[in-house]
Amino acid sequence: MTSPPYGSPIKSPQLGAIESSIVFPKRKGGSPASSLSNLPYRRSNQSLSSLFASTSSLPGSGPSSGTATPTATVARDSVFSPGGTLRPRSPAGAPVVDSSGLRDVLIRSFAPHVAVLASADTDEVIRQKGFPGGFLQLIRPFGQQVQGKVTVRDSIGASKSFEDFGIRFTGLKDGLNPPKPPPQPRRSAEVGEKAVNGGAEPWVESFPAWARTGGDVAQIEELVDRHLSYAEMQYGGSMSDYLKHDGDAAGRAHTSGAPSPFYTLYFRRLLSALPMSPHETFSHPVACIIAISSRNPSPIEDLRRLYNATNTGDLRLPQWVNNEFLRYYVLVHDEDHDDISKSTALYEQMKRHFGLHCHLLRLRSLHVLPSDDDSVRLPTTEWISAMEELTEIHRRGNSETDADPTPCLFDSDVSALRTLVRELTMQSIIPSMERSLTAWNEQVLSRRRGLSGRFMSLSKRWTPFGSSSRNSSGPLAGLQASGGGTSGNYDSLQGFYRPESAEATMRKLADYAVMLRDFKLAASTYDLLRADFNGDKAWRYYAGANEMAAIATLLDAHLRSGAEKSTSTKSRLEAVDGWLETASYSYVTRCMAPFYGLRTLAVGGELLKMRGTSTGGDEAAKWGSKILEDRLVGPVGRPLFMERISASFGSKLGRGELRWGGRRRKAAFWAVLAVENWLKMDKVVQAGKMLESVSELYGLTDAGGVAVQEDEEKGGGAEKAKPRELKFAEMKDFIEELREAVVARKLAAHGYEGEESPEADETTLVEEVSEKLDARPHRMSLIGIAAPPPMAGMDVTPLSPLKVRDEEPNFRDDSFE
Amino acid sequence: MSYYFAIVGTQDNPLFEHEFGTSKQGGDGVARFREEARHMNQFIVHSSLDIVDEVQWNGGQMYLKHIDRFHNNYIFCFITAGSVKFLLLHNPDTHTPPNASSRSSAATARTSAYGQSASTTYNPTAPAVEEAIKNFFVEVYDVWVKTIMNPFFKLDMKVTSPVFRGRVAAAARKHL
Repeated sequence: MTSPPYGSPIKSPQLGAIESSIVFPKRKGGSPASSLSNLPYRRSNQSLSSLFASTSSLPGSGPSSGTATPTATVARDSVFSPGGTLRPRSPAGAPVVDSSGLRDVLIRSFAPHVAVLASADTDEVIRQKGFPGGFLQLIRPFGQQVQGKVTVRDSIGASKSFEDFGIRFTGLKDGLNPPKPPPQPRRSAEVGEKAVNGGAEPWVESFPAWARTGGDVAQIEELVDRHLSYAEMQYGGSMSDYLKHDGDAAGRAHTSGAPSPFYTLYFRRLLSALPMSPHETFSHPVACIIAISSRNPSPIEDLRRLYNATNTGDLRLPQWVNNEFLRYYVLVHDEDHDDISKSTALYEQMKRHFGLHCHLLRLRSLHVLPSDDDSVRLPTTEWISAMEELTEIHRRGNSETDADPTPCLFDSDVSALRTLVRELTMQSIIPSMERSLTAWNEQVLSRRRGLSGRFMSLSKRWTPFGSSSRNSSGPLAGLQASGGGTSGNYDSLQGFYRPESAEATMRKLADYAVMLRDFKLAASTYDLLRADFNGDKAWRYYAGANEMAAIATLLDAHLRSGAEKSTSTKSRLEAVDGWLETASYSYVTRCMAPFYGLRTLAVGGELLKMRGTSTGGDEAAKWGSKILEDRLVGPVGRPLFMERISASFGSKLGRGELRWGGRRRKAAFWAVLAVENWLKMDKVVQAGKMLESVSELYGLTDAGGVAVQEDEEKGGGAEKAKPRELKFAEMKDFIEELREAVVARKLAAHGYEGEESPEADETTLVEEVSEKLDARPHRMSLIGIAAPPPMAGMDVTPLSPLKVRDEEPNFRDDSFE
Repeated sequence: MSYYFAIVGTQDNPLFEHEFGTSKQGGDGVARFREEARHMNQFIVHSSLDIVDEVQWNGGQMYLKHIDRFHNNYIFCFITAGSVKFLLLHNPDTHTPPNASSRSSAATARTSAYGQSASTTYNPTAPAVEEAIKNFFVEVYDVWVKTIMNPFFKLDMKVTSPVFRGRVAAAARKHL
């Protein structure tokens, strides 16, 4: 395409037709598209809409349903949920290449997990306060951002501070349960009705521990689908508004490379609530909070009992989890009922018994109403699993009241909880992680990396002899064992390394390094591990090490400024491609773990795109299309990833006047595919948005949605200026068809209103449009039934543009100015 | 195996389009593109013009070989002296739709023979493939030059000559 001249622009005929024909009376909240009518949340419910708004993470979106829908404009600079209390995060001291902020989502997703284990009496106190989920529900939102700066010392002793450091509170065994589908179909309304009618118990019922485990692509798809349907309904009410402001919004969003809010949601849920697995330790607990309350008659004994339960009892995590995590003891003091002096005495006693990792948490136990003075709503939790959010949506959709069911707590409670989280993080978790890092670094990693380590790994690889002593304890013994036989530490029958073995320790070391954001150390460690796992044929571990090696290397490269980039990083960056390939192959083909494969490719692609170098966009698009080719995503993910591929290509603008090396046509192609897929799913709003960027990318319209005129340099100047169009006939027809399908669906959504409307003008307009569309037999099928008959011989002239144009003379005539 | 051949002018406008199947290994020379996805060919070819624009400056060759891929559609390019591009879309597998390659289709492709090699192992850079397509391009170029020597032919004008079409078809039968 040559450079488009911007002579006196006229409206594109199609757009003109749309705008003039859509003058329907607006209806509040109603006007559901036919496909949505079976969804149980048709009532426009305030609490529900605020939920949708908060989970698609839009700042400043109030409870009013109008502003709650995510729009591309608002979402651009909004990656974090408002949460009420969250502070703007720091970009971790690095220049932000991409405004998408997906990198921050990514960095924050690798946060230390802290298990929460509360005694029955503690949960009782909290439940009286109005938190049916107990202590875990109360403390969970406060972990997502630790107040103030968090300073971490890395392996070479330099300290870095982060403002957006967070920890995740989970139930002790949350990540273990594989996410199960609920026993009954979720979509049927009766089921939800029953759950709500139950009264107080259903909260616990509808939030069982298994719902808190993520890692299921199907659930993510369903969740995003819910959000999309909701957005459709929102736009359904005010279509002309949408057409007016979104034409340029979509265009701008596209050029800035910002992901759609739904993609961000998809990405975030992909990284939320990772299930516990032997091959990676991100979701293994780094620490465990053991909480008792001041009501407990025998506090010290109970603490001991709970502690023992995590070690030997039924709460012991499976044997592939390293059980030597930190225990943190919290005494919940009930301000309203109990005596503080007694609690202080008990606290002193606790300190004597259990050391310094103790905290006295002073909470008020009264039930707080939203109307009370100094009451604060519990902030929303960002990092919940898709299933959990779905359950929440369902619950709110079925509730009769419009009131926000989020429980409230006192202002003083909030600050007490914040202090707890801060102290826990700063004084216990981070120091203990740093200590473990240093110890493992000295005992395991440096030996492995040093001369003897190399020799050992050599001998490990080449000598068949050697003792494989399994009864090793401690990392050192494990290391010696690893010097022995080939499959020294890997239990290939059960498929995991024992947590004391050198490999598992190194993996944990690298994971800790990622959590503490020391990506350089992490990257080099993962790189070492790759060879070990490959030798042991521990494919899941091997895939994990490859995945994280690539991610850590890319993140490391991101966080450095240009001057610091060393040659070693550069050579590693070249290997990233291969690592991603290996990781996805191992995950998908060898281990049948498509979720992890999807995570690898999505994260890797995003990071490559963010590099913003000349090849980054191409590589990101390559991995994106691999996701689609491997069928790692479902029907919702397909168009989202197509949009993303389009954006990756679009981010490569090319050089010079002729835009050499640009990828505009490719971007447009993928955008067309996305439109097609959105339409297949009946997501008209998304389709319309993408269609705008298609027109813009093909150069048919400029950024304002105005048709660009044909370049008339060789024709006579006196000729009437034509709007620019695609030269390939079938492409033009197909885009035209998509456009008409979008309009037709929108009209169909409003159809009954149009017929009711008394104004003669509008009805005639509507009829005109729908007649014309009905006349075209291929309108619904979308895909080339209109295409010319297949060429049997070569003398048939194929693909005549005239033929199709003749079919719709009406359209051209009446809408062209 | 199905082929879609397009000649694209300097304004990204198609000058000539032709679809055909393989005539080797007992093929009947009829394209087997799926009917509802035939418009995809144009989209794919059009999108790979981006790559053509980039790689045409990398060397002095007119035959750019394999330049692009969309699922299992492989694009080959030949660029003429007048910056008119010959683009050949090659879909090695006849049974799967060109726009939907899945693992299952890859599995069927593994069993379905493409010459001696299955289409998953189809290598667009194999010397035999490259050579055959090069010969095809060169022959078409020959015909093309003769066509545009017509004094009534203007730049970026569509070629409608049945003789030209016949010659292209003959070249296709001969080489592909």
